[in-house]
Amino acid sequence: MSSCATIALLGQPNSGKSTLFNALTGMRQHVGNWPGKTVEKKEGSFVHGGKEYKVADLPGSYSLSANSDEEVITRDFIASGAADVVCILADSSQLQRSLFMLADYAGIDAPCFLLLNMSDVAADQGKIIDAKEIEKKLGIPVIPFSATDVKSYDIFYNTLEKAVENGTKLDLSKLSKQYESIQGYREVFNLIPEGVLPGYSSMWLAVKVLEDDKVVCAKLKNAVDADTYKKIEEAKKNAKGAVATGGCKFAWIDEVLDDAVKAKKTSVSLSKLDRIYTHKVWGKTAVILTVLLGLIASFIPALPLMGVGSAVLALKAPITSALYSIGCPEFIILIIGDVVIQSFSYIFKMLGFVFGVTLVFGLLEEVGVMARISYVFDNTMGKLGLQGKSVMPFLVSFGCTMGGAAGARVIDNWGQKVLTIALAWAVPCGAAWATIPMLSSIFFGPGAVGVVAAILLTMLAHMWITAKVFGARLVKKEDRFGMIMELPPYHKPKWGALFRYVMGRTKETFFRVTKVILLVCGIFWLLSYSPNGNDGVLVKIGLAIEPVTKVFGMPWQLFLSYVASAVGKEGAIGVISALYNGGAFGTAFTEAMNGAGAATNLNEILLSNVTKPEALAFIFAMTFNMPCVVALAATYQETHSAKWTAKIVAYYTVVSLILAFIAYHIGMLIW
Amino acid sequence: MEELLELLKDGHARSLEMLATELGTDVDDIRRKLEYLEAIKVIRKISITPCGAEHCSECVSHAHSDTAPCKGCLPEGGFKNMGDMWEVVT
Repeated sequence: MSSCATIALLGQPNSGKSTLFNALTGMRQHVGNWPGKTVEKKEGSFVHGGKEYKVADLPGSYSLSANSDEEVITRDFIASGAADVVCILADSSQLQRSLFMLADYAGIDAPCFLLLNMSDVAADQGKIIDAKEIEKKLGIPVIPFSATDVKSYDIFYNTLEKAVENGTKLDLSKLSKQYESIQGYREVFNLIPEGVLPGYSSMWLAVKVLEDDKVVCAKLKNAVDADTYKKIEEAKKNAKGAVATGGCKFAWIDEVLDDAVKAKKTSVSLSKLDRIYTHKVWGKTAVILTVLLGLIASFIPALPLMGVGSAVLALKAPITSALYSIGCPEFIILIIGDVVIQSFSYIFKMLGFVFGVTLVFGLLEEVGVMARISYVFDNTMGKLGLQGKSVMPFLVSFGCTMGGAAGARVIDNWGQKVLTIALAWAVPCGAAWATIPMLSSIFFGPGAVGVVAAILLTMLAHMWITAKVFGARLVKKEDRFGMIMELPPYHKPKWGALFRYVMGRTKETFFRVTKVILLVCGIFWLLSYSPNGNDGVLVKIGLAIEPVTKVFGMPWQLFLSYVASAVGKEGAIGVISALYNGGAFGTAFTEAMNGAGAATNLNEILLSNVTKPEALAFIFAMTFNMPCVVALAATYQETHSAKWTAKIVAYYTVVSLILAFIAYHIGMLIW
Repeated sequence: MEELLELLKDGHARSLEMLATELGTDVDDIRRKLEYLEAIKVIRKISITPCGAEHCSECVSHAHSDTAPCKGCLPEGGFKNMGDMWEVVT
């Protein structure tokens, strides 16, 4: 057997290096580590034509820049001259991309040849590759190859022998010409003497300096005199960097492949649905309609669980009677009825929503629509420091803030998710929209339209200000560049996975929100409880602080209704009705939240007891107050932060009172 | 690639197809450029990790294990079809 030669296998991950290495060496291989590193070192050997070849399977990496230990080890090994020839592998099915390793290698002084691996895949794609043409341009042997096909190996061995014998090296002239077009390249190049670092050409080193390769810069600093290195640093400052050098490498690859690869031209086209979703004028409308339809559709799967919620509430009367009949203390009966049963009724209704929203919006994500929603609204939402997907929770919040908060789970960034929920709270929910027009029409007649418009404008301003207030802490301020998206293909949903996900989320939500709702409802009930009906802590506090609440335009009855609206907007009107009728707050609240209607003569009661400025103040306070206890639970559930949930509650309470103050004093000026 | 980054300065989101059309090239060319820009850390892929681990006690407890973040954060089987997204690192 004659003397041996060493081959180094170089290629990007998935270029087929390991397949080739295993095919060449079979059982004659061993795995260790590169000295002083945890990077795997694979070596082996084979005999061909009576000659022994050692094979080094170099670590797979994207390029030869100093981004990782693998890349530095690879280039140092090649430049050290340890390999007699470097076998560079490129994926024939995507040469445009995979020849980047060759472009980055160009300038390292070692013999090499190029394997166009996976040529069978390229042929299946209809690509015709003229390897001879590429060989002519590169000046090294280039062979079409398939590492999985044993027939390919004869040509491989022949090429290997020739490359070792002739020491074939890359023709760098055209690449060098490309680099000459980079501002500052010539200045840096001129300062680096040829051969200053053995194994690397001045061209390669100059390019790495422009790319700010720290390892190369450190080696150059030691290799040249201080004055020269200072000049290199100066020249680098005025030069273009890695973006420009990368552009040159790609341009060189295109030049090499020009006339050498023939492929079917695929025109850039969008599907019919994408043409609608990405349309500059109709895109947003199409997305909003999709989300609204999704919201409506989410009620259908929500209905069974919402029905369970109502059924739980229906148990209250028989359970209460049964407890009375066995002589249970009234306080306990009230806790079971008004807190436990009431809370579980809320919880099941909320779970219905969570189930419906998660199912429908999970489905939209599964089929690929969610990515389009994100894409279409990215720019608009970006102005608030959010991403496109945030539009979905906002739209859902018009129906139910809890649904909006739950829908925020599609936001991947935690800060943006919290900010989205914080802004979604400013969107009046369905219950608020049922209350606003009713109260407005009682007090302002046709002027109710103006009130609704003012609410909408206030909502937009509120969202903008809230984004400014919370955005600084939640979302890192950066110069905003456009996002790049690879829109996924539309495909049929995997129903099994989707339902497992929806069930998991619903179950997890149940356990997480139960404690929050029980706690909040329990505290609120205790504060409003009074054994004799009318002197609960909340009423006492309401009366005591009336001088203060009047500053915000709310007498104690309206203020307690405002407090009740934080538990559920639907309760506010019932509480007003009962309190102005002389009822007890605790009973009024419980009954209102159980669906008791307002007094039939509510119009007269309100008009005779509440002034227009007070009514306006209450409408604003109630609308922009904390949406409800269920939204609070959903917020905690999604943010996983009691601190941020509390901050949002405090912020909305303060802002709603400020808005009430402003509305009241504007009202005073008008009426 | 300089043209690509210049285009993104207007703050508008773009799909690969849109970038290819605006730059008069094909999607494969855009893809290889994105790969390079990602490698040199000019852009980064947006990771779909629906939780900031430091804010969630359950995720923090899983932070150094091989397991995923808590069930409440990472929907099992979810967020698999959002496509790939990149943002410019400033």
